[in-house]
Amino acid sequence: MKDQKNKSILQRKRAVKRNLQAYTFMLPNLILFTVCSLYPVVWTLKYVFYQYGGYGTGVPRFVGLDNLARVFRDKVYWESVMHTFTYGFGKVLIIIPLAFFLAFLLNGQIRGNGVAQSIVFLPTIMSSAVMGLVFYLLFNAYNGEVNKYLMEAGIVTRPINWLGKDQAMKTLILTAVWGGVGNYMVYFIAGIQQVSEDAIESARIDGAGRLQTIWYIIIPMLGPILKIILMLAITSAFHDITNVMVLTEGGPNNSTMVMSLYGYRYFFPISAAEATVPQYGYGAAVSVISAVIAGAVTLGYLKISKKMDSIY
Amino acid sequence: MAEMNRKHLSKTAWASIIGKWVFLGIIIIFTLYPVVYTVLGSLKTNAELTQGGGFFPAAWHFENYYQAFVQADFTKYTINSVIVSTSVTLLAAATCSMAGFILARKNFAGKKVLMALYLSMMFVSLGSVTLYPIYELLRALKLNKTIFALIIALTGGQAANVFLVMGFTKGIPRELDEAAIIDGCSLYGVYSRIILPLSKPILAVVALFSFRNAWNDYITSLIMTISMPKLQTLTVAVVQLKYSVNAAAEWHIMLAGASIAIIPILIVYLFANKQFIAGLTAGAVKG
Repeated sequence: MKDQKNKSILQRKRAVKRNLQAYTFMLPNLILFTVCSLYPVVWTLKYVFYQYGGYGTGVPRFVGLDNLARVFRDKVYWESVMHTFTYGFGKVLIIIPLAFFLAFLLNGQIRGNGVAQSIVFLPTIMSSAVMGLVFYLLFNAYNGEVNKYLMEAGIVTRPINWLGKDQAMKTLILTAVWGGVGNYMVYFIAGIQQVSEDAIESARIDGAGRLQTIWYIIIPMLGPILKIILMLAITSAFHDITNVMVLTEGGPNNSTMVMSLYGYRYFFPISAAEATVPQYGYGAAVSVISAVIAGAVTLGYLKISKKMDSIY
Repeated sequence: MAEMNRKHLSKTAWASIIGKWVFLGIIIIFTLYPVVYTVLGSLKTNAELTQGGGFFPAAWHFENYYQAFVQADFTKYTINSVIVSTSVTLLAAATCSMAGFILARKNFAGKKVLMALYLSMMFVSLGSVTLYPIYELLRALKLNKTIFALIIALTGGQAANVFLVMGFTKGIPRELDEAAIIDGCSLYGVYSRIILPLSKPILAVVALFSFRNAWNDYITSLIMTISMPKLQTLTVAVVQLKYSVNAAAEWHIMLAGASIAIIPILIVYLFANKQFIAGLTAGAVKG
């Protein structure tokens, strides 16, 4: 576009027409992108520096870095960050080995594998909100089926308060594993299929057993894909919110409050039973800091995994 | 192991096969149990659910569904869910297809800036709080009392899908475009006659996952219908039952509602499970 001066009028007209044509194709998506992605991010970044109670509460007041400073002093927030780490690492620690093992078992054209794959994948297509409600009933302390079965089997004598302060996080992780393991199994199957059959075959001929094949051939050759899968698992665990919101509402007593939900509560009530006075500026600050933390974890993970590469 | 003759399998091979399927059996039971519980529970009485009954309902109470559909207004919510999910699916597929095509094939002023913006927004995730500015913006446009607000918010920016379609379109030989242009096709002709039919596989992936996300979404649907409860979708209506005054006496209605919300997607999955599984990796490789 720099040499426009030299262009004849005709050429310029053509360029304008070409750009117009291109933008008519872009426009529908561009509108959605602006409304749903760009604008809200700009809005949030702006309101980090304002105190604002929302529509009809008067003009937003510029407060500089007050909101950010308040986040750093906010004990409950940092507790929620810790809970996010507990939740995230708990979930990843269970889901990745389990998904890998399932992928190892279900990879290959053996009768029954396809059906089993479809069943393990099934929870990922269902609403985590609706299933959160179902789990809320299943894990109910007094009327829930989980306690009923455990007591009938004689494993426990008294009902366990699955959604109480001590157990809620474990229950939450368990249901998250249920909902997500199929995803990672499919990723692993795709990865395993890229490991060449020849390598596996020659290891077998050399007398490697199943476990040895996994440990010495499949896992090292899966390295690059394993890294991506782990990163997806970590970042997605940091953003989980729906299941927490429906199953435990961050409670009891904030024991399952994760940082995504903590930011949300300054904008909207977490449950219909809760009344909140919105604090958009503060909520924006919380969300931005949370995004920075999630980004830092991802970056840190990438650095560590690069270091691992040089060791290999 | 598969290539071996079954008769000649050694004892250890049999043991490992049996071990595999015992383990898988347990996994499958745990995976299916909550779903089976939901569907069977939707046909039980509340007392059976809360005071302990058999695995199967003592009598099949289909009237739970009557109660859900008629008294709890689930007919309305089902219609809303169907309208919203199909609109989101169509809107996502259409807009991504057009944008992906033009980004793959044409240079235009501002293209680099646009692509950088799209890419950067994929890495900035502020979570559900961005629903508030979206809601306020749509309120300013007077859309917040209509179902369009939810459809727009739920379709979202689609940056990842645009890149997915763009990548796929780049794989379609340019010679086809050129041949069409020589034959007298305009840019629109190239798009609608060449690219659109050839990019069906990737658009199917976009559509399938958009449908799943729209059908299953909770938070966006909750917020966008906050001032218009009659526009609520199934998921929102089901979860709201948790907070109803009679929640403790309405487990059977909750489960009937939950079944109404999950059965349609289960049916889709029954026919398209291969596409779901293949589509997941298609999407993951790109973004």
